[in-house]
Amino acid sequence: MTADIAAILLQDGIANGAIYILLATVLVLVFTVTRVIFVPQGDLVAFTALTLAAFDAGTIPGTVWILLFGAAIALSLEMLEAVARRDRARCVRSIIQFGVVPVAVALLAVLLVPKDAPLLWKMAVTCALVTCISPVIYRIVFQPIASASPLVLLIAAIATHLGMNSIGLQVFGAEGVRTQGFSGPPLSFAGQLISQQVAGVVASSIVLVFVLYLFFHRSLRGRALLAAAYNRRGAEIVGISAAAAGRTAFIVAGLVGAVSGLLVGPMTTLYYDSGFILGLKGFVGAIVGGLAIYPLAAAGAVLVGAVESFASFWASAYRDIIVFMLIIPILFWRSVVNPHAEDGIE
Amino acid sequence: MNKLIVALVAAVSWAAPALAEVRIGIIVSATGPAASVGVTQQRTVSVLPPKLGGQDVRYILMDDASDTSTSVTVARKLIAEDRVDVIVGPSLTPNSLALLDIVAETGTPMISLAGSALIVEPPVDRRRWVFKTPQSDAQMASIVLDHMKRRSIKSLALIGFNDAYGEGWIKVMTALAEAAGIKVVGSERYQRTDSSVLGQILKITSRSPDAIFIAASGTPAALPQTTLADRGYKGVVYQTHGVANNDFLRIGGKNLEGTFVPAGPVLVAEQLPDSHPAKAAALDFVRRYEAIPGAGARSTFAAYLWDAQLILDRAIAAAAVKAQPGTDAFRIALRDAIEATSDVAGPNGVYNMSFTDHLGLDERSRVMTQIVNGGWRLVP
Amino acid sequence: MIGRLLALAPFIAVAVAALASLVLPAYQVSVATYVMIASIVCTGLVLMTGIAGMVSFGQAAFVGFGAYTSACMSTQFGLSPWLGLAGATIGAAATAALIGVVTVRMSGHYLALATLCFGISFYFGIGNADAFGRFNGMTGIPPVTVGGFELRSERQAFGLVLVALVLSVAWCRRLLASRCGRVLRSLRTGSTIAETFGANAQRHRLLAFVAAAVVAALAGWLYAHVQRFINPTPFGLNASIDYLFMTVIGGSGQVWGALVGAGLVTVIKHELQDLLRPVFGATARFELLVFAALMIIVLHKARKGLWPFLQQVVASHMPPRAPVAPVTLTSRRGRPDQGLPVLTAIGLRRMFGGLVAVDDVSFDVRSGEILGVLGPNGAGKSTLFNLISGGLQRSGGELSFLGAPLARVSARDMCVRGLSRTFQHAALVPEMSLIENVAIGATHLGRCGIVAASLGLDAREERQLLGWAQHLLDRVGLGDRAWELAGTLSLGHQRILEIARALAADPVLVLLDEPAAGLRANEKTLLAELLVRLRAEGLAIVLVEHDMEFVFRLADRLMVMNFGRRIAFGDPEEVRADTGVQEAYLGVAA
Repeated sequence: MTADIAAILLQDGIANGAIYILLATVLVLVFTVTRVIFVPQGDLVAFTALTLAAFDAGTIPGTVWILLFGAAIALSLEMLEAVARRDRARCVRSIIQFGVVPVAVALLAVLLVPKDAPLLWKMAVTCALVTCISPVIYRIVFQPIASASPLVLLIAAIATHLGMNSIGLQVFGAEGVRTQGFSGPPLSFAGQLISQQVAGVVASSIVLVFVLYLFFHRSLRGRALLAAAYNRRGAEIVGISAAAAGRTAFIVAGLVGAVSGLLVGPMTTLYYDSGFILGLKGFVGAIVGGLAIYPLAAAGAVLVGAVESFASFWASAYRDIIVFMLIIPILFWRSVVNPHAEDGIE
Repeated sequence: MNKLIVALVAAVSWAAPALAEVRIGIIVSATGPAASVGVTQQRTVSVLPPKLGGQDVRYILMDDASDTSTSVTVARKLIAEDRVDVIVGPSLTPNSLALLDIVAETGTPMISLAGSALIVEPPVDRRRWVFKTPQSDAQMASIVLDHMKRRSIKSLALIGFNDAYGEGWIKVMTALAEAAGIKVVGSERYQRTDSSVLGQILKITSRSPDAIFIAASGTPAALPQTTLADRGYKGVVYQTHGVANNDFLRIGGKNLEGTFVPAGPVLVAEQLPDSHPAKAAALDFVRRYEAIPGAGARSTFAAYLWDAQLILDRAIAAAAVKAQPGTDAFRIALRDAIEATSDVAGPNGVYNMSFTDHLGLDERSRVMTQIVNGGWRLVP
Repeated sequence: MIGRLLALAPFIAVAVAALASLVLPAYQVSVATYVMIASIVCTGLVLMTGIAGMVSFGQAAFVGFGAYTSACMSTQFGLSPWLGLAGATIGAAATAALIGVVTVRMSGHYLALATLCFGISFYFGIGNADAFGRFNGMTGIPPVTVGGFELRSERQAFGLVLVALVLSVAWCRRLLASRCGRVLRSLRTGSTIAETFGANAQRHRLLAFVAAAVVAALAGWLYAHVQRFINPTPFGLNASIDYLFMTVIGGSGQVWGALVGAGLVTVIKHELQDLLRPVFGATARFELLVFAALMIIVLHKARKGLWPFLQQVVASHMPPRAPVAPVTLTSRRGRPDQGLPVLTAIGLRRMFGGLVAVDDVSFDVRSGEILGVLGPNGAGKSTLFNLISGGLQRSGGELSFLGAPLARVSARDMCVRGLSRTFQHAALVPEMSLIENVAIGATHLGRCGIVAASLGLDAREERQLLGWAQHLLDRVGLGDRAWELAGTLSLGHQRILEIARALAADPVLVLLDEPAAGLRANEKTLLAELLVRLRAEGLAIVLVEHDMEFVFRLADRLMVMNFGRRIAFGDPEEVRADTGVQEAYLGVAA
């Protein structure tokens, strides 16, 4: 292998790693607040690209139906509960959250996005659609079992993923899409040509990690969310609702998922079922960071991307074996350094 | 006690006499990793004729979710509960191989829709009941090799799916290329959902092969070509007939121009000379398939199911003379009739089966096409 | 009547299953066969995930290991499938032991991910190996033969799988009821309980890991010879997730949950296609969506899985367990003479970073005495306990037990030497009965291992250990509730139960961390009487307690701590008079 090839592989690895970072950070975020390993995050990313592609093709994306269907369930669940408790304020709030907002976004998507609309507008509506789905998932699947063990939450997350996969195949079909990206001349960096898309993904990953880090470790609201994760009862006593914290986390997850989808879509082909494998690699990064430390999770994600890229070159048939076997010593080391995860998953 | 009675009644009715209609069980991989293949076949079921060989036909469609265990239970269900006279499918090679024992033991003829020759060769013992309609990998590979020899290609690199599809192709291509004196300088694998194949492409392009063969199906086959274009590869690129759909052309765009794709005649039905025996059948299929709402353009995978239907049309007519549908005798007669298939022209070629050949396709079953201006063009 | 029927339920179920296989249509029989194969895998997962608390995303790989080993032996070397079974299980055990040595040391999510790594590697390893037919798989695997007769048909395969299922369930249940099993069942709460009572938590984790792998390999062997074709797909990540799914849905804490989960998930998956066809039409595929929705509903309604949910209904009809005859074990170690020091500490120190939690503390405990330790919250009492009992290592100072100097203390070693303890926050296994919780205390008194337990050779020892536990329960006044679950006890009674468990370890010295907290007045009196009797028997007792009156009434000597230092030590009356104590602790200005 020449230095030239190594440099290209490294660049490719970092570009892929940046995608995994976007997922890893969200997984850490959602886990620290709700103890859910949010497997469907990858699906949100894939759905974003598929939605944008549907707009480009001039069809109504299936995401609209998914959102309306999900919101209807969430609304009825929420209303049942609110009515049972005679909580009028909650009734109003839930009608806005799961009624007015999703319907408005859906109408927007159906009526106001012609095939030749500007790319940015399509992207914005796509973002809104996907972001709205995420809190709906939280309300339907996770909120009722918020205090269950992480294993139960994980199984629920996997079930959600299976369900999304099933709808995804129905509404988007089995074939993949590649969306339009920001075109422009490649940037030159340290003698390497880097496409603007890749630079964009890398830059946003770094920004995202930095912002989340600041948010959780420097801001009051962020610390409050963390507190809600550690001790639900205690947090509620001091006025932080665990449900609200969870919802916030999921809205952020949806938003980041949508943005990731827009960023990744032009770099590679995405399928209705691409999400799982992206999420898995992100998960690896997140675990390397102990599901708690953003910069470390990001480093783990980049490592996975880079190893993957080099392993593809050396022995492509055995690539995943190489990637996953190399992780084990790191896991071992992390487990020794950070044994706090003792009660981890069960 | 009641339960016992129910069970006994069920057991008795299970051994009930023959039925008036022919039952055809169809197993496709409509979900799971192979969905892009199975979905096209699933759609085709809606345009299959209601009568075959003069008999009323009921189609029972099952999805095996691309999983071999599910294939097995689904097949058992079709045989034991629905008492099908013949199974068409599964769509995948491993899933078809998993059924060899079951169909042999229950005496149910099966027409597989999967590629590998392993399914029907040798057609003795367990494979006596098994037939298939898709061209075998080796048949398809040989037309690629002929084409390469004509273009005096000396070195070749392969890249394919890290699964049964990629493996089948790469194995047979490697063997045939070496026999033809073409040097195989690289053989790489990737996965359907990979977001990058740069590593693999760098490796094979660093050996500057005259041609690169991509063994993948559906839209994921576009990724290596996009990467090749990015790397400025100037050699000849071949794909398999697994890519033959419009989504592939849409995803790959300009990067695909000039790519050679071996395929069944159905892919370029309109361009076939009128003398081609498959032309009429292919056009007929294309007309019906493309009329299905949301189906898009033709798919060679879907056409295999159509071929199976055409074979069965003839075979059922012959078998119905000898026995009542739904009986063991009918299934035996049907098996014999399928084995006796001769000169059935389908969208993928002309089938002439025999005791030693349970596929029955010849060189008329494949054509070389090239992607030109975003469409398929027949290479004479 | 109902109770007796329930007790016989497993036998009736097996008989019904065997009968059903004769009359049911072939398809149902073959689905049932797959259900049972999955149940076998899930039984192992219950052991590993539900009981020992290790989540596995790689179980399907061990199934594959079993399937491929036997398939390879029988097709390529022409060996009998029965030799294949031996190869599959022994190979899986060895492989699991090898992998387990690394992975079981990891905790929580790290371990889960590590199993996932192995699972994925197995899939691609097999898929790229010529010897295993690569992704296209291996055909022509022979069926299992019994006495020269081939088990070829669905019904014969069903019989074989049923026998295997019964054996694995029986084995798992026997294992769980054994001495090792009790330790295993404590692992879900962490390693503390096991280590405190002399069991190697790591080794027991490994044991669960290996046992789960062996059971999985057995399932794989069945799969290979029943289906007679294998390829990598059924052994990939998705299959592993499916098994985990089944286990959690069924109820991962109990073996029966595995059966319920595997049955429900498999049957739903198979039947949904037919059920939904009239709803969505032949070409729409919403099975997985409906399946996911059903699973989420199950999790919402029964978080611990379906079996515990069903069990609630059944529990009231279950006949009460027969009481165990109490057994008094004679102490294996000679107690030191009354008044001789059991434990001596000189200048103990412990730092956490820059913070000194225990600073230069010296004291001794003599046999047949109660040493009271007092001090406000944060005075370092619990840290001191941990330094002595092996929960923490000291930063400096000397420690000796029964005259032997201790260089490094480990909880396990201290238990064997004769020290046992209770915890400030009760550390019991809530899903286990009182008597079994106490029997954990006696773990190091037994000898029988997993092999003896599997073969039922541990019956005599079990009678001894459980009898001993019953005896101690009687002593602390919980004897008539022996088979109730520890989780149902009040907080006060949980502490009493902990004392019984501590005594079960046949100790020379017990450390009691706030044993009277949460007790009512009359219960406190009973506890005090018990402690006095124990003291009279020559036991040394260290007592941390906030109830001053309780301590002053019982303690022979007192030590008072504040800010990690010993501020007074000696006769209770002297200590009570000490001005420093009054100022620092009793809140009285001197």
